[in-house]
Amino acid sequence: MPDIPTFDIAIIGGGPAGLTAGLYAGRGGLRAAVVEKLMPGGLVANTERIDNYPGFPEGISGYDLAQRMQAQAAKFGAQFVSDEAAAIAIEPKSFLVRLSSKAQLRAKALVIASGAYPRTLGVPGEKELLGKGVSYCAVCDGAFFKNQDVAVVGGGDSAVQEAVYLAGLCSTVTVVHRRSSLRAAESLQRVAFRNGKISFSWNRTVVAIEGGTQVEGLRVMDKETMKEEVLPVSGVFIYVGYHPNSAVVKDLVQLDENGYIVTDENLMTSAPGIFAAGDVRRKLVRQISGAVGDAATAAVAAQQYIENL
Amino acid sequence: MPLLKDEDQKYLRAEFARKLTGPVKIVFFTQAQDCMFCQPTEQIIRELLPLSDKLSLETHAFAPGSEEATRYGIDKIPAIVLVGAKDYGVRFYGIPAGFEFSTLVADIIDVSRGETSFSPEARDKVRAIAKPVDIQVFVSPTCPYCPPAVRLAHMAAIENGLVTAAMVESTEFPHLAHQYNVAGVPRTIFNGTVSLEGAAPEALFIEKLLEAAR
Repeated sequence: MPDIPTFDIAIIGGGPAGLTAGLYAGRGGLRAAVVEKLMPGGLVANTERIDNYPGFPEGISGYDLAQRMQAQAAKFGAQFVSDEAAAIAIEPKSFLVRLSSKAQLRAKALVIASGAYPRTLGVPGEKELLGKGVSYCAVCDGAFFKNQDVAVVGGGDSAVQEAVYLAGLCSTVTVVHRRSSLRAAESLQRVAFRNGKISFSWNRTVVAIEGGTQVEGLRVMDKETMKEEVLPVSGVFIYVGYHPNSAVVKDLVQLDENGYIVTDENLMTSAPGIFAAGDVRRKLVRQISGAVGDAATAAVAAQQYIENL
Repeated sequence: MPLLKDEDQKYLRAEFARKLTGPVKIVFFTQAQDCMFCQPTEQIIRELLPLSDKLSLETHAFAPGSEEATRYGIDKIPAIVLVGAKDYGVRFYGIPAGFEFSTLVADIIDVSRGETSFSPEARDKVRAIAKPVDIQVFVSPTCPYCPPAVRLAHMAAIENGLVTAAMVESTEFPHLAHQYNVAGVPRTIFNGTVSLEGAAPEALFIEKLLEAAR
């Protein structure tokens, strides 16, 4: 057996929370590993434009912000491990993280910053037509629907933001929302309402996504009249919230009823030495700025924990 | 204006110095006119070249059916072939920009070393494939889920001489995207018949690869 690489702190997830935890841990003189299976940035990386992260009055693309955060963490010595945490075992005064590649690493403290993944609608056609018109990533797939009619499902920040992005490419964008008003930030709503290509289908739930080899329509139901209709669209972009990526610690730390990790005010979980930061944590607001704040607290608290071991 | 910032160059130079073991020849097929992404692709390559003395460039003006195009099986441009100790069958069609730049860098390292980061089980399964498999991974430069899909395909090519694998930038080759019903990326096509949606884990990728090799 080759020696298992040992770190002071292992950070699971390379989104804004994980990259910030890497930055703070590195600056604190700790040996830090950031484990990320995809690209640095997590969900942020597939956001076309971010307008609510302080310091960027002109807005910044999620890709650029993620690159900058990674560069800053790397500058202070954080090491990046391109892999996924598959299992975590608690050892005396340390944790053993087994990765998907079967490689392992050991750390004295963990910061779980694994974020969340998009929820699905769970309607007929959604799974079958994935990649054939059903998408959860407008910046990835929007270009395939140039000059076509598409629908966006959802009413939060992501849904409205991506509807605006798609309106720049597509002929029309219909936002289908189950309520009669949006949850998205006021400023985003104003931009969407002013955009002539975007229309709103209020109080409608999605019944099915229809099509053969490609999406041909979105079947929706009016919640008051119970009447169904089919919107003739070739693309359906789904932004109906998120599920926490907490499976890897589900048997180790306390989760709430929705699977989010419960923490104390220093962001330690119910397991001493395991901290949580960002979207994976139970909290009211899930924003990049909040993830970054979480991570600073979690990294500093983890350092104190290590010093007292 | 250079694409790579000073600090990126510094980082890549150190990364290449630490990880490149053998030479890598970048074979680039291009055309002076009527190829929107050829010049920007060349700029990316030219900025990479000085970062390691193990890197070299061989440029060919693309002519369908020419000796070089036939040797490397190139039928569209811009095309990049990475040749290490041998031609492993690693191809890029279209610009390796945005998220795909990281794929190009990781591939250069693997091709130089002639080894990949597959798990031992996956590596054994790929090496045991005894029939030709050609993999096309459709991507867009703005897709953060795409690089892992391209990497798996290129790693399979490096591990087995019967496997060839290409990144295909969907927006530059709309006819291919249309032919293979690509309406979302990444979409991986094995031998033109078996397909895989999204950034699949290693095990699922191997399963589909073996299905195509049966």
